[in-house]
Amino acid sequence: MTTLTRERADTRAVPAGGGARPQLTDRRTLRPPSARALLGLAIMGSFVAGGIWSLIELRVNIASLIVGYENAVNFFTNRVGALQLPPLGELAQMTVMTLAIVICATALGMVLSLILGLLAATNTCRHAPVRAVARVIVIVMRAVPELIMAIIFIRVFGFGAAAVAGILALGLNSIGMLGKFYTEAIEDHDDGPRQALETGGSVRLQQIFGATLPGIMPAVVAHGLHRFDINLRASVILGYVGLPGLGMELSSALGVGNYSLGIGLALVILGICIAAELLSGFLRMKLLGRSEPSRFGFFWLVGKMRRRYDANRLEAPSGARPAAWGERTTPPWNGERTSRFTYIGLFGLVILASVWLADIDWIAFFHGLLSIPAVAGQFIPPSDGGIAERLWTTLLETIQMGLAATFLGALLALPVGVLAARNVAPNRAVVQFFRTLIVVTRGVPELILAIILIVIMGMGAVAGVLALAVGAMGLLSKLVADSIEETDIRVQQAIATGGAARTQVFFASTVRQAAPAIVAHLFYQLDVNIRAATLLGIVGAGGVGYYLLNANRVLQFEVVTYICLMIVGVILLLEFITSVMRRLLR
Amino acid sequence: MSAITLQNVTKKFPPSTVAADDISLSIDAGTFTVLLGLSGSGKSTLLRLINGLHTPTSGSVTVLGTEVGTARRSQLRQVRRDIGMVFQQFHLVGSMSTLENVCTGALGSLRGPRIGLFSYPKAVRQRALEQLDRVGLADQRFQRADTLSGGQQQRVAVARALVQQPKVLLADEPVASLDPESSHQVMSLIAQIAREDQLTVVCSLHQVELAMHWGDRIIGLRQGKKVMDEPAANVTSEDAMSIYGSMASARPAPPETAAV
Repeated sequence: MTTLTRERADTRAVPAGGGARPQLTDRRTLRPPSARALLGLAIMGSFVAGGIWSLIELRVNIASLIVGYENAVNFFTNRVGALQLPPLGELAQMTVMTLAIVICATALGMVLSLILGLLAATNTCRHAPVRAVARVIVIVMRAVPELIMAIIFIRVFGFGAAAVAGILALGLNSIGMLGKFYTEAIEDHDDGPRQALETGGSVRLQQIFGATLPGIMPAVVAHGLHRFDINLRASVILGYVGLPGLGMELSSALGVGNYSLGIGLALVILGICIAAELLSGFLRMKLLGRSEPSRFGFFWLVGKMRRRYDANRLEAPSGARPAAWGERTTPPWNGERTSRFTYIGLFGLVILASVWLADIDWIAFFHGLLSIPAVAGQFIPPSDGGIAERLWTTLLETIQMGLAATFLGALLALPVGVLAARNVAPNRAVVQFFRTLIVVTRGVPELILAIILIVIMGMGAVAGVLALAVGAMGLLSKLVADSIEETDIRVQQAIATGGAARTQVFFASTVRQAAPAIVAHLFYQLDVNIRAATLLGIVGAGGVGYYLLNANRVLQFEVVTYICLMIVGVILLLEFITSVMRRLLR
Repeated sequence: MSAITLQNVTKKFPPSTVAADDISLSIDAGTFTVLLGLSGSGKSTLLRLINGLHTPTSGSVTVLGTEVGTARRSQLRQVRRDIGMVFQQFHLVGSMSTLENVCTGALGSLRGPRIGLFSYPKAVRQRALEQLDRVGLADQRFQRADTLSGGQQQRVAVARALVQQPKVLLADEPVASLDPESSHQVMSLIAQIAREDQLTVVCSLHQVELAMHWGDRIIGLRQGKKVMDEPAANVTSEDAMSIYGSMASARPAPPETAAV
């Protein structure tokens, strides 16, 4: 391919020397469609068709929304009454428990992921077999839903040590995401400093600590805090299978039909999720210092206001006074260093406190480790429990929910994302408005939304699809806006100098540049939604998750394994399609 | 005494790149040698062969009495401690302080991984400070490396190489990313330090004027072959230009071979 283009370039160069230009024989101006393009179109086409078909099949339409609205009015006037909350002390205890478990799990996940990331990255690990094993571990952890891990671990460690089970389930599942991100961060990170240390004769571990880790630390912390938010949301659903904390309380309240308590708890969880997101955004900014804060978080808005205020004042002269340093070889304890160390210390303290507060039952933990072979026996061989047909129908329903939600979400996210992109939106006010909209949407955990919608609209897929679509809209529109902002503005300027109108520039260059990234995000979102759809079944939003929970309740663990294999199969298939799509887009 | 000896060294990168083609040369201790050539002529490869980041496809590379190509890992690390290297893109950790970046040069003589300035022995920190002072950046010691200008960053990288207390200093296009003013600063700094510490310097460059000004000896490379090897005093700029070959017939250079 390269030689071909070079030859062509050479023949172009010759006529400049005076020779006659070779006759142009091929006068086609349209390229014959390539197999790649057709395959890509086919996948995209079936995605759109699948989305529409799923919406029809699941009866997500105006009529059901109207019925839902009537139900909602009826529900709030007749069934809920006054919102109810558990006594304050109890509520605080549950909250602390949930947070402690989530913090432990995230810390565990970060440590394991970092080790696996270092083992999986080409520039830090020279042994191909080790890299392959590390990568496979990450993929497996990604494919098995945390809920299924939790079911297995609770079976292993017993309900008495459910906290351990939850920490392991969430921690190991975090590896699926963090391990991948960390590997990418290590590989994308400039390898030069590490090479520089290698030339100085240091060993690999010294190179890693001396150059690689300091370079990727901001990314490690940022991804970890992001995962904390995800784990917090996931911990709620693990309450349905016995993880202590707010989620368990919520599930038992809804289980006995105590809707006023249920909705009350759901609102509390919503509040905690939003608070956690704000806090993690704040920490990310503090810990990373220079790194640009998320352009979509609450703190982005605050920072913007503050900068506007600060810009009106004279900037104070910064920079330390070197003269007084003399022979010092450790940095002075100035404000910046003090606060950095304070944050690191607080961070460590919080993790230690969480380990203590999570009430880990070490005896049950080691006992559980010994019982693994016996418990494993209960899960095999996989069995369909005589309801294979129902399982496959509901699995289809789960996939339909994912497709429908992604399709709906994308429909909403494309315009929102475009209008939230600074280089495209007509003016700043529009950008501000849509960014704020995205911030708010992303703050709402889809699970809580689904629970509330189910309570309101009744069990079934419609509530699940709507909840997932809102979640998809939040994430996708952020990704779309990011992709559009990352396009090369010089190309757009080049087209604009030719006299093209704004919309022409947008379609001719911006869309073309951003499209591959956006399509990749679309498939990523589908992946996320199908995973989420299996979980939503647990709260009664349709799909195969409902049977998973039932099988667990009646101790039919062979059926749990069967459903688990079904889900993992779908996820791996989807991953395959996504990777094909990515390759086509490259 | 010869510090670096290459005998019939050939380095091929699959599928078809020959980055070093049967090169033999011997470099005396305490001299300043310039490798001159276009990008893609094999300068970087040659430097990387010298410190063992690449192993030759055939032939032998001997540095300070150790054969680098076949050395065991520990031997290789041993000889690398005596070879400092400076890169075109500086290769500093931007988020670390200048002083800590310099300290990392001493890792080869320390045991175990280090995190943070305080984890380095005081003696190392002081040595690092001295070198940083030598390149004129002691006042910036606690500043993040990525807040420095390009020329300053390259001086920090020089200090990092010096902390090793090397006998040989390799410089891979040390000034290619710098403006003329900083280029001059960095080059004269390297030359001065080389004189003071009696270092053997091998420096790759692509600018003829710089090569003629700073080198004791100029080795010309074209497409992996040694095409010239003269004391700098004997080289006229026409000679030097001839290394590049006639521009009219120049083919597009093969892409720069990726580093390690």
